[in-house]
Amino acid sequence: MFNAKVKSEVLKGIIDVTSPLVNEVKLNISPKGISLRAVDPAHVAMVDLAVKDKAFEEYKATDMELGIDMDKFGGIMRLSSSGDMVSLEYDEETNRLIVKIGNLVRKMGLIDTAGMPDPKMPNLSLPAKIVLKASEISQGVRASEAVSDHLALTVSKDNFELSAEGDTDTVNLKLPKDLLVELNATSKSRSLFSIDYFSNMIKPVKGEDPITIQIGNDNPIKVEFDIAEKKGHVTYLLAPRIESE
Amino acid sequence: MLQNTKFYSNNQEKLLPITKQESTSLCALCRGTKFLCGKSRCPVIVKYHSRDKVKSLIDTVRIGGSSPPSVFIGRIGYPKVSIGPMIPPIMGDTSIIDTPELWLNKSIDDIVDFRSMLIRGKHTVDVYNVESSNKIVEYTRELALAKNSVFTDAIFSKKPRGSIAFYDDAQPHGPSAPIRKFDISNPKYEQHIEKAFYDTDLKSKDAIFNLYNDGVRISKIQRAFSVGAFGVKKLRRFVPTRWSITAVDSNIGENLMKNTKTYPWINEFRVYYHNQFDNRWAVLMTPSEWQYELIEAWYPNTTWNPYGSSISIFNSYEFYKGRTTYAEIGGCYYAARLAVNEVLNKERRQAGAVILREAHPGYIMPIGVWNVRESVRKALKEPYRKFDTLNQALVFVSEKMDIPLQRWIRNSAILKNQLYQKRLEDF
Repeated sequence: MFNAKVKSEVLKGIIDVTSPLVNEVKLNISPKGISLRAVDPAHVAMVDLAVKDKAFEEYKATDMELGIDMDKFGGIMRLSSSGDMVSLEYDEETNRLIVKIGNLVRKMGLIDTAGMPDPKMPNLSLPAKIVLKASEISQGVRASEAVSDHLALTVSKDNFELSAEGDTDTVNLKLPKDLLVELNATSKSRSLFSIDYFSNMIKPVKGEDPITIQIGNDNPIKVEFDIAEKKGHVTYLLAPRIESE
Repeated sequence: MLQNTKFYSNNQEKLLPITKQESTSLCALCRGTKFLCGKSRCPVIVKYHSRDKVKSLIDTVRIGGSSPPSVFIGRIGYPKVSIGPMIPPIMGDTSIIDTPELWLNKSIDDIVDFRSMLIRGKHTVDVYNVESSNKIVEYTRELALAKNSVFTDAIFSKKPRGSIAFYDDAQPHGPSAPIRKFDISNPKYEQHIEKAFYDTDLKSKDAIFNLYNDGVRISKIQRAFSVGAFGVKKLRRFVPTRWSITAVDSNIGENLMKNTKTYPWINEFRVYYHNQFDNRWAVLMTPSEWQYELIEAWYPNTTWNPYGSSISIFNSYEFYKGRTTYAEIGGCYYAARLAVNEVLNKERRQAGAVILREAHPGYIMPIGVWNVRESVRKALKEPYRKFDTLNQALVFVSEKMDIPLQRWIRNSAILKNQLYQKRLEDF
């Protein structure tokens, strides 16, 4: 059973976080909330998301799985305006999700979850950790998009650095410790990442909201932030690029 | 001189003799003597000989012959374009002249030879006027839908002029003239195409893919598409031949690609190889999600690098999510993408594909995008070599190709991605 009522922003937030990486997801429903974990088709990035029951206005559920086509669900949610209350109900007989927006009733067919994998979170030890405001980093990422397809992230004892190098142009963004919310590193860590992926991972976070980043040397990056008014949490993993000789 | 009697024979192979393809080494020999342009043969002479053969046959304002069938829709002046039949001054079964799927065992000379016999009739019409009661419009459409060669009798307002015309996407054709009047014997329609033609609610993209799945040759689908034979009735229009080729390639490829993305990955690295018209084709397939790139290296003095002194390399690519803009390198990108997806769909497997093309100096003139589609199809029919690692596969590629591996990698987005982007399971 799944029966819930929620502000449209919460659902739109989930779609923004998930749909750049995967089209089809298995949504795990439990009495305590919903969660999902999925890897993109290239096996380069993972999204792990959990939204507590408290994030919903009304929430009643037993343990179950919903197979959702995110493109389709995104299309339905675009019918709602911000502030709208959306009600979700699982119709067991027809295996459909009944979405109600105001007086609109939209029944969405679900995907079979039988063949969908349960990806494991790799066990990583990432020695460097920073917390910063979204606005501090997004400018640097946008600048990098214009010069290259990958960027380097470096965390050292007293600063965080983002840099990108093209054939003729370069970008560098250096943030000293006092501009960061938190910096925790004993030595220097540096890894390269695809700008496409990385930019999608920080895009859902706006303005002053904090992003937590953990990196190592030529290791995946972990990007974390809260959604749904802090009643939900997102963890991204992104595999690095290895430097060409 | 053309041996006219031969054309009454039903034997296509005899009609268009197979000659051995020349190789680059011959070209090197020539270059030392008098072919200072660097091409292995002088294209002017190739054209001259072709023209010479048909010249006497077309020195008239009235031409009767067996249209393969073939039509040509021009692009200049769009949306007012020149449409009309293409007629060789010969009789019998001429279908091979407009069936590029059958040309791989011909030499470039042969192709130029028989294509230059096609006299193009021109009649200016608005592209939306597909329903015109004008007989020229009507008969042009009937030709495009016909199954077999159709006897065609045309009266031009002046004698056909010009030599052979080349395009980057479309196949070459011979002299042309404004057409005043023409008549055709009763054509028999290709039945699948006829059905799509009369279905005025069927979207053209669905018509194209249905016909492809029914086994109709791409050149036939494309020909009918160019005369506006498919689609919702009020949207039907003439489509310039060169656009119609890429539209059909791209459409079928996209449909197949949707399936490709749902299949399990191949288990090994594969390299397919084929040499056609002094073009070397290497197709690398990787055990990964769908991603695709075509990289073309044009040697100096080849078709698309006539004045350069060094090799020019161009590429276009897409990752899993596909691309939203037209490929930089043009129609060949879509033609090759179709061929790759065709074989993956047949195997029900997914893979990444990088196609490397070296156009060597023996490739002296553009013969159309069909060459890309059919050459890649041919390469993919050859037995492939299996490898456990990308490096082993790339070493094999570099043995087959002249251009050093590092240069290919430098010019390739997909190879860089394969080499440098790690996956989560690597940790």
